Amino acid sequence: MDIIKEIYEAVMEGKVDEASSRVQQALDSKVEVNEILNKGLIAAMDVVGEKFGEGELFIPQVLWSAKAMQGGMNLLKPNFSSKDLAEKGTVVIGTAKGDIHDIGKNLVAIMLEGSGFKVADLGVDVTPERFVEKAVEIKADVIAMSALLTTTMQSMGEVMSLIQAKKLPFKVIIGGAPVDQAFCQEIGADAYGMDAADGLRKVKGFLGR
Amino acid sequence: MNIQVHREDLLKQIGYKEPPQPKLLKIVDEILGLMEDLVEPTQAFKEIQDEKDLPPFLMGAALKYSGAATLGPKLENRVKDLFDEGKPAEAYILDTAGSIVITKAGNILWGEIKQDAAAKGFKQGLRRTPGCQGIDLETQQWIFGKLADLDLGIKLTTSYMMFPRKSLSFLARFGGRLKGTFSCKGCPQYTDCTLRG
Repeated sequence: MDIIKEIYEAVMEGKVDEASSRVQQALDSKVEVNEILNKGLIAAMDVVGEKFGEGELFIPQVLWSAKAMQGGMNLLKPNFSSKDLAEKGTVVIGTAKGDIHDIGKNLVAIMLEGSGFKVADLGVDVTPERFVEKAVEIKADVIAMSALLTTTMQSMGEVMSLIQAKKLPFKVIIGGAPVDQAFCQEIGADAYGMDAADGLRKVKGFLGR
Repeated sequence: MNIQVHREDLLKQIGYKEPPQPKLLKIVDEILGLMEDLVEPTQAFKEIQDEKDLPPFLMGAALKYSGAATLGPKLENRVKDLFDEGKPAEAYILDTAGSIVITKAGNILWGEIKQDAAAKGFKQGLRRTPGCQGIDLETQQWIFGKLADLDLGIKLTTSYMMFPRKSLSFLARFGGRLKGTFSCKGCPQYTDCTLRG
């Protein structure tokens, strides 16, 4: 089997160690870095995301695939130019102010990292000001916010107000159990992620990649 | 208190209706094996005798209770460790198992309250959690004020969240005029929920 196909299958099957060893093998064999990335790692992760969205795969399998991809990415990174890395996009992520639930947010962060995005995870109970300050500081492309409770999701609207008041260029995606498309539109966010895979798909959509 | 999590329930909760691949089954079984050491369920309730300054949900009830339960901090500390160790799937599965246990602990607590109420002549009751169906999150302070001498080990944040996270609290009422019943239909995940079968 050709090495790219082996990388693809290792990521599809969530074989973390095997994905890394196959990527190393491909690098040693002087296979083009972009071919390993696009036809091996990214192509597999795209299919994993689709299968998750269709209910064919579930969160544990997606996480293993994301870890497999992340392992491969780490091996590829030294071979990218800084321009290549910057083009993937940067996401600031956190749980909205007042809320301490972080499982969903952590899953999204892992899937974003696994897909090659740079992620700044601010943790839980993040104030609107902190989201915006961090995004400005690291020149982020996207702010991603999570909330589990109706009482805490209101602070997502405050982030939007800060962004609009300062005319900042960030795209904003929101998610979590009480949030829906209607709330997303109400506060003027750019997208609502129904689940981790949907969130990932929409972040990729924002950035055209 | 020993609360069991069945493999089938855990698989269903993480999305699987059919048996998954052996690798996942092995991890699920390993995680279930950890539960006894990681879970220290504690629960307590109190009958409320006051008639003044009651949360609106308890007003007019003949018999009133507040109750809370927690799994203690060990499970969620292990979940954090697993994330830090680069094992997010395992962390997610363990966290989900914890959610099953705290739900069961809440049901056991509710059963104890219903028994207490039945001994006092009341059969029909209703429980509600702060943050749901018209009960403000601020009511947490009132509940934990009533339970303060029971040393459950639950702390409230300034936004009334509970630490450990795998904790729950509720108010319960019997007698008087009961309003409302539980329905899944208001839930944002109603159409996708795997738990409704």
